[in-house]
Amino acid sequence: MDSLHIGSYTFSSRLILGTGKFSSSSVMLEAVKASGTQLVTVALRRFNREQPGDDLFTPLTSIPGITLMPNTSGASTAAEAVQAARIARELSGSPFIKVEIHPNPQHLMPDPIETYEASKILAKEGFLVMPYIPADPVLAKRLEEAGCVSVMPLGSAIGSGQGLATAEMLKIIIRESAIPVIVDAGLRSPSEAALAMEMGCDAVLVNSAVAVAGNPPVMAEAFAEAVAAGRKAFAAGIMEKSGIAVATSPLTSFLGTEA
Amino acid sequence: MSQMITIQVNGESFTLPAGSSVSNLLASIGSEQESVATVVNDQIVRPDNRASFRLKKGDRVEILIFAGGG
Repeated sequence: MDSLHIGSYTFSSRLILGTGKFSSSSVMLEAVKASGTQLVTVALRRFNREQPGDDLFTPLTSIPGITLMPNTSGASTAAEAVQAARIARELSGSPFIKVEIHPNPQHLMPDPIETYEASKILAKEGFLVMPYIPADPVLAKRLEEAGCVSVMPLGSAIGSGQGLATAEMLKIIIRESAIPVIVDAGLRSPSEAALAMEMGCDAVLVNSAVAVAGNPPVMAEAFAEAVAAGRKAFAAGIMEKSGIAVATSPLTSFLGTEA
Repeated sequence: MSQMITIQVNGESFTLPAGSSVSNLLASIGSEQESVATVVNDQIVRPDNRASFRLKKGDRVEILIFAGGG
């Protein structure tokens, strides 16, 4: 079985789903089930007395085989991310943490310095750290050396639907990395997820593309199929490109006039 | 009548009887049915300690849940 190994965990699904931006919790839960995902992200938020029942912990963990990966969204410094991670672990009981530190809401680009500092501290505390990072091969390697169990470089800006704008950098990260590389952010359509997997990514993390689709559960299923197909193609060995045509049919002449 | 104290809960002023615990606070705001994390003055208060953790005047309490996020 071609499984994804992260830390001591093994997953058969290579699609990680975000749970934000859905029109309702029930649609989100249907999408999670349809996707077959085993790892979902959640965010910490203040309890609101006017809106009880917003808590996603119980409904998500009631789905068989689901592991939670809380994020540190809202943190703009390493110290804030570390505190968010510790609180999240109390609540989730999960060792996974998506370190996400983006100080500028205009572009939501991850802060590489704060992300590195937070990841280093959290890895030492025993978290399974999965940092959301710019597609920077040097940073990715430094995070691997700091004890992260995966790196999650962006395909393009969060929620932008710009796809694999960082493809060439992603290829370098994949080639150099000894830990799973998960493309996080920017994917718009299942074909982009398939392409990421064909490039050799170990998994993809999708949120907006599913959440804002016309039919989120069906789109979740489409992403799952694309991810599986892309992975299968990568494992099967994709043909090399050639600058010239290479015939698939015999060119020996039998229709010619000479006999 | 018992003495009242004012604390901050999720950034808003909240008044409750002196000597109240974190558990008492959760019950009074109706969050005991939810899976919440509690933090008092940046210190995480685990579920086992909520009944014995007494709140003081001016304490800053955060009550957090998991919501949707990517």
